[in-house]
Amino acid sequence: MAHSHKPEKEKPVGPSSKLVSLVAQFDDPDSLVAACDRARREGYQKMDAYSPFPVHGIDDAIGIRRTRLPFFVLAIAFCGLAFALFLQYYVNSTDESPLFPGYKFFISGKPLGVPGVPANIPVTFEIIVLSSAFATFFGMWILNGLPRFANPLHRIPRFRRATNDRFFLVLEAEDEKFNESRSRQQLEEWGATAIEECHLDLTDHEIPKNFKMAGIVLLFALLLPPALIYRAAGMTNRNPRLHVVPDMDWQDKFKTQTVGPNFSNDELVPDYLFGDPSAMRHPVAGTIARGDATGQDEFHLGYKPGSEPAPAHGGPNANTQDPAVQDPAAQAAEPEWLTSFPGGVQVSEATIARGKQRFEIYCTPCHGFDGNGGGLTNQHAQALAVQGKANWTAVKSLHDPAVKSQAVGRIFDTITNGRATMGPYQNQIPAADRWAIVMYVKALQQTGIETTGATAEASSATEAPAGN
Amino acid sequence: MASTIDMSLDNTFEDPSRRAPLVLGGMDYGDVTDNVAAIWEADRPPKTWYVVFTIALVLLGILGACLFHLIMKGTGVWGNNNPVYWGFPIVNFVFWVGIGHAGTLISAILFLFRQNWRTSINRAAEAMTIFAVVCAGLFPGVHIGRLWVFYWLFPVPTEHLAMWPNFRSPLLWDVFAVGTYATVSLLFWYMGMVPDIATFRDRTKTKLGKFVYSLLSLGWTGSARNWHRYEMAYTILAALATPLVLSVHTIVSFDFAVSQLPGWHTTIFPPYFVAGAIFSGFAMVVTLMVPCRSLFKLERLITIRHLENMNKIIMATGLMVGTAYGIEFFIAWYGGVKYEGFAFWNRAFGNYWWAYWIMVSCNVFIPQLFWIKWFRTNLVAMVIICIFVNIGMWFERFVITMSLSRDFLPSSWAMFRPTEIDILMLIGSFGLFFTLFTLFCRFLPVIAISEVKNVIPHDHHDDEHGDHSGAEVAAAH
Repeated sequence: MAHSHKPEKEKPVGPSSKLVSLVAQFDDPDSLVAACDRARREGYQKMDAYSPFPVHGIDDAIGIRRTRLPFFVLAIAFCGLAFALFLQYYVNSTDESPLFPGYKFFISGKPLGVPGVPANIPVTFEIIVLSSAFATFFGMWILNGLPRFANPLHRIPRFRRATNDRFFLVLEAEDEKFNESRSRQQLEEWGATAIEECHLDLTDHEIPKNFKMAGIVLLFALLLPPALIYRAAGMTNRNPRLHVVPDMDWQDKFKTQTVGPNFSNDELVPDYLFGDPSAMRHPVAGTIARGDATGQDEFHLGYKPGSEPAPAHGGPNANTQDPAVQDPAAQAAEPEWLTSFPGGVQVSEATIARGKQRFEIYCTPCHGFDGNGGGLTNQHAQALAVQGKANWTAVKSLHDPAVKSQAVGRIFDTITNGRATMGPYQNQIPAADRWAIVMYVKALQQTGIETTGATAEASSATEAPAGN
Repeated sequence: MASTIDMSLDNTFEDPSRRAPLVLGGMDYGDVTDNVAAIWEADRPPKTWYVVFTIALVLLGILGACLFHLIMKGTGVWGNNNPVYWGFPIVNFVFWVGIGHAGTLISAILFLFRQNWRTSINRAAEAMTIFAVVCAGLFPGVHIGRLWVFYWLFPVPTEHLAMWPNFRSPLLWDVFAVGTYATVSLLFWYMGMVPDIATFRDRTKTKLGKFVYSLLSLGWTGSARNWHRYEMAYTILAALATPLVLSVHTIVSFDFAVSQLPGWHTTIFPPYFVAGAIFSGFAMVVTLMVPCRSLFKLERLITIRHLENMNKIIMATGLMVGTAYGIEFFIAWYGGVKYEGFAFWNRAFGNYWWAYWIMVSCNVFIPQLFWIKWFRTNLVAMVIICIFVNIGMWFERFVITMSLSRDFLPSSWAMFRPTEIDILMLIGSFGLFFTLFTLFCRFLPVIAISEVKNVIPHDHHDDEHGDHSGAEVAAAH
């Protein structure tokens, strides 16, 4: 158990070391308590007793006041309660919040918000216990001034028995009543079996050199992150932001309006997954989207059933993908378009409002908000066409006299099946909404907006055959 | 220190006029320290220690290989099927969590009830708690399938997904309950150990030991002011751990009871689970302590009286569990729900009848032997009974989980068959447990030294050093 170097190092007493306390050893707890009691009566205040186990009655003998730890724990427990309830409310009963949106999620019939609190009790209880336990554990060590990695008491070999089978009373030199020779005498009087001096080594306070160097290096290293942040402020960077935890943000799937995967290495001979570049697929032949059963009636056709002229007509079944197929002769033959809205479509402001909203989603990219063909797609494509970078047929103005005069059924058919370069929308827009759009278009045409010259001419020139 | 140990000493008497000693052989403070520290101060642990440690390491290796296989292949390597979605993983989880509960009961509940006999066994029992919870946490931990996103269990904000755990689900309650339980048990265990680690720090002869134990003991000196706050903190932690331990197994039982399955959806589950947990946990403590005390010569600290007390608790909780089995059947009949009735008839006489009768034999019939004092005080007999109890408690969880195999719809009935991986992982979890426990025995104080010193009658202890029997010491007071 002998430690060779330490005791020798402590021996020299002079200006290099300072007496901090007298350490008196007692052989049993009762004499320790008695000595503590005597010391307190003598007026000593800065003293402490050391024992291998908590000695009964020592608190009163030294005059230790009851710790405030329980109140601290109670306060933390209340914080835990508030935090737990807030967390669960925020996370499962709210949808929108500025920082991290919650997930309002109705499940197993358990209500949200305050009525749902019973289901939150178990977690609340656990969080209270956890936070209180942490408060107790860390609060106790903090109040005790531990961890403490240097204590002159540990340098006294005899004091090692404080954790084994001996009991110590330590009188601190800082105490007003402390007088080395008198205190020593008193301790002997009170039954100490051995008395040691505890010295604080004043020479040993220098920080080792390599510690200093490491500290300086660390200090400079600490400056690096703020420096980098300062440098990065206001900088532009082409790289995407660092994504620390990807979770499910990127998935192997095709998004709408994107090109499907090309498996070919040869650019000229593409090998698309679906045979064509589009990642979106039309519904499988013979299937209908739920709620969009296309009956063969006025509501779904836009004309009186049975009035279609011939199989070759350019109406409902025209191949709109390829304008070259459009046969002017066939176009001449038209079914009997509905001139008023069919049954099931209510002419009302609400329907027009619905039509406006749908129009703004599906039609404005090309036709523009005013229906004059000023949509962004059209603008951009025309600009490219002027530079010779694209082949584009200008979008038709809805205020073109040729369109204005069209029957509602005819416009419905255009939306449903497309016309010339315009694609069909029957798969995107349910029939009722298509009628609502027609109603809105008709309303738009009544506003007196004039066809803009160039666009109107260009469109009427290219689309002339399509007009009636 | 007394050189011979008087094993003829009997402190199991029941005489109200005499207090039975908790420490035998007239040990004084120094003797207690020497006795406990001897395990760790010995240059080499006993041969048996090496044998146990090697076996445990091999089993741990098997567990590691199984885990690797599982992570590479997915949870399909288990026998879990439809409708038995929860097979061995939940059985093993509940089994191990239950084992852990005895440690907290001894350290917290018996502390609050001022049961001083706990001091000799609480440290090892607390260590057992922590290692058991480690084993328990493993199973649901790997059951999540995609291990690399394990943090989805916790309410961690995600960058782009409004994705949070469902706080109304018992499985999430489990995460918080078991997580809190593991953390609080660890704090409690460590805090209790600090004064004893300080003792080791002051005795160690190696530089490494000095460094490690100095760090772990946080500069503990045994100051009266420190003891005062320490004892307060210990009491508070005990008061926190007491409802916690009850809540943990209650919440574990909610995993079953909150569902709508016949045989699971019963209000008796929480108390019945807690009683079962203490039952199996105490059986594990006895199974561990009996070889430990012989191996490390702790007979004077862990006395026959300690073991007898534990055996009495095992018998009492065993009777509670047996009552619960009976009540379940009564309610199944009295409730008049035919699905409930079928579930219980099926447990006893259906596809897993053998598991049910193993459970009843091990948990209800065999512990009745503890009515006889000879079984309570005979080391070999009590270990055998306790091993039976643990087998029975494992089967209890198996029987409950297998209610899944025959639910409402006969067309979806299916038998669960464990795969080799299932069985190897169960065995491997014992490897993990015993590896940790053997290391603990070797490097940390197995007995709460400072607490035991508190229960030694301390008047004139030096006079009685080694001369008188403990019973006489006690009689003198």
